[in-house]
Amino acid sequence: MSADLVRVAVDSERCIGGGQCEMLEPEVFLVDDDEAISSVIGSGELPRDRADVVVHRCPGAAISIVEPQRPSE
Amino acid sequence: MTLTKQVLAPADLQDPATFSAGIPHGAFAEMRARPTLSWTPPSGGDRTGFWSVTRHAPVSEVSRDTDLYSSAVGHIQIYDIDEDALSARASMIDLDPPVHTRLRRLVSSAFTPRHVQSYETAVRARIAERLDALMQAGGGNWVEAVAAPIPIGVICDIMGVPESDHDYMIELTDHLVAGTSSKPLEAGAYGNTTDLRLLPFNSPAAHGINEYARALGERRRAEPADDLITKLIEAEVDGERLTDAEFTNFFRLMVFAGNETTRASMAHLALHLVDFADQFERLRSDPSLMDQAVEEVIRYSSPILYFRRTLTRDTVLQDTPLRAGDKVVMWYAAANFDEEVFDEPLRFDVTRPLRPPNVAFGGGGAHFCLGAPLARLELAVLIEAILSRGIDLRLAGDPVYVDSNFVNGIEHLEVEVG
Repeated sequence: MSADLVRVAVDSERCIGGGQCEMLEPEVFLVDDDEAISSVIGSGELPRDRADVVVHRCPGAAISIVEPQRPSE
Repeated sequence: MTLTKQVLAPADLQDPATFSAGIPHGAFAEMRARPTLSWTPPSGGDRTGFWSVTRHAPVSEVSRDTDLYSSAVGHIQIYDIDEDALSARASMIDLDPPVHTRLRRLVSSAFTPRHVQSYETAVRARIAERLDALMQAGGGNWVEAVAAPIPIGVICDIMGVPESDHDYMIELTDHLVAGTSSKPLEAGAYGNTTDLRLLPFNSPAAHGINEYARALGERRRAEPADDLITKLIEAEVDGERLTDAEFTNFFRLMVFAGNETTRASMAHLALHLVDFADQFERLRSDPSLMDQAVEEVIRYSSPILYFRRTLTRDTVLQDTPLRAGDKVVMWYAAANFDEEVFDEPLRFDVTRPLRPPNVAFGGGGAHFCLGAPLARLELAVLIEAILSRGIDLRLAGDPVYVDSNFVNGIEHLEVEVG
C-alpha cells in the first residue's frame, strides 16, 4: 500500500443505506439493492483526502479509516 | 438547580404564532449566544418542560447518539402523548435502532443517490408540466401551482399511489400539519372514529390516510406491482410480515415526509428567487454551483423546524446538566444559522462551502432524512428548469405561513411570472 492510500471499512450495524459513499466513490462502495447496506468492494483503498470526505459525508457515521500498519523495520 | 432568567427561552416556542413570519432568527440568535441550553417550563397539559438546542455542534451530537437521546421514549414532538398513543402511531421515525434500522432497510434502497437518478426523467416531466402551466396562466399561487403538486406526485409515483388520488393525498397531508397548529379540528372528519389522541398530530386526517393505505394495500396484495406499497406488503422483518398498524404508519410517514418538506423548500425557493436574484444570476453563469445552490435553498428554508429527543440517562450537554427523562429539542432552523459554522448566516450565498453540512435533513446518524437525495434532485431539476426557461418571478402578495411550530411551510404565495 503506498503511503498516501488508506483502507476504508463499513460498520454494517450503523449503516443506514444513505448511499453517499457509493455516489462519491462507486469503485469502492456498493449499496446492496435488497438489504440497502453498504459494503466495500475491491481493495477498499482510497487516497486519504477522498477517504476523509466519504467518512464525513456518511450520515450514519458508519465508515472508518483502517490505519495502515507500519512495516517493521 | 436555580433557573435564572438567562436560561429561559426568550420566545414561546410552542406557540405557532412565534413562527407566523418564518424562522424567529432574533430569538434563536439570542439562544445560540448563551453558554448553556435554554429552558422552557411546562405549559398546557405537559408535565415537563424542555431544553432547546440551537447550536450546530450539539444538534449533531444529539442526532448521532440514539442510545442516550431516544426517539422511542416520550414523543418526537414537544408535547407529551400517552403510552398507548405512542405505540399506536409508531413508525420508524419514533423508534430507536435496532428496530428502526430493520424497518428503514425495507425502503432505503429506493432512496439512495444511485437509485434516485432513475426518477430524474419523471421528475423533469412533472416540473415542466407545472412550470409551463404557470407561465401560460401568467402567475397564480406558487404553492398550489408548483410547490405542492410536484413533491406529492413524485413520492406517490414511488409509493404506487395512482395519479387520480394525488390531490386527495395533498388534501389529507395538508390537514395533518394543521393538526400541529391551533386551528380547531372536526374529530369525525374523513369518517374518523378513532380517539384523536391516538392519531398522529391528533388529526382525523391521519385516519383518512390510514384507511386509504389499507385499501391500496389490499389491492396490491391481490395484484402486486413494482412499487413501495407492494414491497411493504410483502416485506418480512425477522421472519414476520408488517402488522396492519406498522404498514399504515409506514405509508403515512412516507407520504408526509416525502411531500410536506420538499413542498416547503420549493415554496421558499420562490422567495429566494426574488430576494436573492443576483445569486441565481451567478448560478446561471456557473452551473457547477448547483449542488451548493440546492444546499443553500435547503439551509435557508429549514422545512422541519425541530425534532425532539428524550434522555435515557443523566448527562451534560453544552455545559448544561440534563437528567434522564428530560426533553431535548433540536432546533434545526436555529443550528442552520449558527454564526460559528456559517459565515454571515443570514446571507444567501450559492458559493457557500458544502462542509460543514447544514442540518436541515437532521444532524446525522440513524434518523438522517431518508429522502435527502430525492429532495436534492427535485430542487436541482426545478431550479434548472426555472433558469433555463428564463422565468422572471415577481411576488404579488406576502407569503402566508403554515400555522405550525414544527413545519416551516408556506400555505399561499401569489406570484406573477414573465
